[in-house]
Amino acid sequence: MNELSTGPSIKVYNLLSNWISFNNNNNKIKIFSGKVDIGQHISMTLSIIASRELDIDIDKVEVVNLITGKSPDEGFTAGSLSVSHSGTALKAASITFRNLFIEYVLSKFNVEIDNLNIENGIAKISGTNHFFSYWDFAKLDTYKNIKITEFIPKRNFDINSKKKSNTNKTIREIITGKYEFIHDLNFPNMLHARILRPPNYLSKLKSIDNQLISKLKNENIKVLVIGSFIAAIGVDEYKVIQSINRLRSSCIWESLGDIKTTNIFDMLANNKKDTLLVKAGGEAFHENIPNKQIFDNKQFVTLNSEYKKPYIMHGSIGPSAACSIFENNRFKIFTHSQGIYQTRSAICEALNVKEQDIEMSFMPGAGCYGHNGADDAAFEAAKISISFPGKYILLKWTREDENCWEPYGSAALSKITGTLDLKGNIVYWSHETFADTFMTRPSNGGAVNLLSFKYIENSFIKKNHIPRTAPHMGIHRNLDPLYNFKNTRLVKNLVHDLPLRTSALRGLGAFGNVFAIECFMNELAEIANIDPLIFRLNHLDDIRAKEVLLDLKKQMDKSILDTSHARGIGFARYKNSAAYCAVGIEISISDDAEIKLINSWITVDAGEIVYPAGVTSQLEGGLIQGASWTIYEQVEYDTKSILSKDWDEYKIIGFDNIPNINVSMIDRKGYPFLGVGEVVAGPISAAIGNALYNLIGVRLKTLPYTKVNIKSEILN
Amino acid sequence: MSNEVKCKLKINGLVYNLSIPSDTPLIFVIRNNLNLKGTKLGCGLEQCGSCTLLVDGKKTLSCNQNAIDFEGKEITTIEGLEVNNKYSLLQEAFIEFNSAQCGYCSSGIIMSLTSLFNEKNIPTENDIVKSLENNLCRCGSHHSVLKAVEKVISILSNEKVENQYE
Repeated sequence: MNELSTGPSIKVYNLLSNWISFNNNNNKIKIFSGKVDIGQHISMTLSIIASRELDIDIDKVEVVNLITGKSPDEGFTAGSLSVSHSGTALKAASITFRNLFIEYVLSKFNVEIDNLNIENGIAKISGTNHFFSYWDFAKLDTYKNIKITEFIPKRNFDINSKKKSNTNKTIREIITGKYEFIHDLNFPNMLHARILRPPNYLSKLKSIDNQLISKLKNENIKVLVIGSFIAAIGVDEYKVIQSINRLRSSCIWESLGDIKTTNIFDMLANNKKDTLLVKAGGEAFHENIPNKQIFDNKQFVTLNSEYKKPYIMHGSIGPSAACSIFENNRFKIFTHSQGIYQTRSAICEALNVKEQDIEMSFMPGAGCYGHNGADDAAFEAAKISISFPGKYILLKWTREDENCWEPYGSAALSKITGTLDLKGNIVYWSHETFADTFMTRPSNGGAVNLLSFKYIENSFIKKNHIPRTAPHMGIHRNLDPLYNFKNTRLVKNLVHDLPLRTSALRGLGAFGNVFAIECFMNELAEIANIDPLIFRLNHLDDIRAKEVLLDLKKQMDKSILDTSHARGIGFARYKNSAAYCAVGIEISISDDAEIKLINSWITVDAGEIVYPAGVTSQLEGGLIQGASWTIYEQVEYDTKSILSKDWDEYKIIGFDNIPNINVSMIDRKGYPFLGVGEVVAGPISAAIGNALYNLIGVRLKTLPYTKVNIKSEILN
Repeated sequence: MSNEVKCKLKINGLVYNLSIPSDTPLIFVIRNNLNLKGTKLGCGLEQCGSCTLLVDGKKTLSCNQNAIDFEGKEITTIEGLEVNNKYSLLQEAFIEFNSAQCGYCSSGIIMSLTSLFNEKNIPTENDIVKSLENNLCRCGSHHSVLKAVEKVISILSNEKVENQYE
């Protein structure tokens, strides 16, 4: 498969100069991308693609930091699309450039291709002193108007490129403390800022001690109070933190309501909701929902199950931050937002300014994989900076801000019904999924999705979200199983009036849906008395899916299962369009009912693999984060506040429960790149659930699998 | 508010004479007064390990203890690990095994492990887990970190065997 689908990014940015430019000062090649580094080292992958397709040393490739007005707007860095969007675009741009360059040189010097020798971007004509470089070519007037060719094969020509080292520059900077995060920005006369948050979502500021504000002013701390938005700003970061603590006890808040603490799964089932029918292909429709089919008990077996997952948080290790300067009526904002163009639009709306008045630059933050406080912080820093013209404001959230105010991954409920015929074939499948929205990134709702907007405006009216219908959006992501069930009933429920703020978190609805599907497949396999892996193969037509599962089996069969342990598997193709992934896990359980992860296996088919180390780290990270959600994580709250305020109150996985991880990649050269960042979490969660069942004989259908929950389930 | 006090700190072999509020935690002095940004603030509650550095060779959390309490001690931050522009064995192993994702927690993890190897050449699995009990990572770099540790142990074990034969 040689043809290259150039993907959506090039449809908008179709000029070579949108993606590649040439720096004549240092003889380097600059590549542009609209995707950002969020721990997945996408820059490294993109550098490899450009280096490989241009046949040039990777050290000559520089990735330009994302900045509005200069970088392509490729939407959010989300949905495991970075390599398939940006990578594919860069591949096409690089191949276009290289082909045109070769043609131009042959024509310019009127020589045959055998006389051409190209090394690291410089073409030399055999037997002459003539040479011509990539940089010379890019200087031609015509360069800036060259369009990228769609579906082009790379011209077959062997270029003398040196051995390309895949040195990851980012890692070298990280391990020496030189990698610069947004938190590390340092400008002359920069001011630090912190925010005093209300006690909970529904709180309005009644009063604040103005004497204390004056006193703080004398201590060089400025307090900004706008509506119910309070910030402290000063030169000394620690003094700013102390000021917030002093101010906290001086505030009186009016409560506009309690956090609803009715059982969340009852609310998911019973609250007002939008109900849509999801059809094969994963698209949702506003259509009548058919009743569930009833089958004759003598010839068929029907099973019903409910699977539940709680609210979980992004929980970045470094709390959100942003830096802004307001100068000459223009803003310059540094942000770790995963969608700088979209967040800029929302901030423009919130501040009532034009897009050309805001320049947003990306700076790395701590890994979060979704919509955390980054965008909120960018708006807050910009708002504060208006009061301090000409000064950089570096705003950092606290640990408590991050844990209590980020938009969580929604709690979710899956109600599944499956009917087997007497041969063990699934003849009917119904899956109703219930959750809050995963789609409140600022671009979607504009200013109202920026956390502090409502506190600044003192406007607390909550609008219902509108269900999205595109294939595999939010709640119905991976609701459509890849299995060849001919007779399915898939229902998406966007539930309203739920208690906590929610948005995109790694995998969105796929995590809960795949957990449910893959646990339920084991339940059905048991009834059919068929090995779970064979049972899956029996229900798959997709050859790549089958190969992934067979490879997983091969990997797992290499080691012997300890008699006191148990194994389980899970499988998914993320969004039925990104990578295929099968996961196996071997676990044990302590006398105290704690799950210990022993061994794990991941087999992935991500199309053509560009950067194996990057794929491995995404898969390992996905497995570890998914296992953490499965075993430990749940956001706790009462009527007055979020209780999971810190790491003591919100446990995540530690180094004491990391399994051995074996990664196997089915590399498909020439196939489109498929993202791997979000594919593992659902399968690993189900794999753990299935292993736990095999170990203790009890099927736990509600996450997380904490010691307490396991004990209470066993007692029941 | 606290008073400004004189404070003399030795960090990465250099002596700094500072005038700072007496209650300022060490991390703020290191990051803001001395512009050594490799040590990260993660929670300010001594729960996540991002702020780990070495005091007299041993891992110490810097987000809550006052800077003035560290007078007379040798402080090492991640910036001080390279000797003569050469990475430590652990840093080399981190590069080899790609042992960081976003990297925010990495400096704290590296400092905890450096402290471990300062204490024991050949730590056990329990020693390793114990040394990292304060270090959280959200991206899931754990497995690659443990691979890097294995590599360092294997190098040190081989050196030990070679020494026995000398």
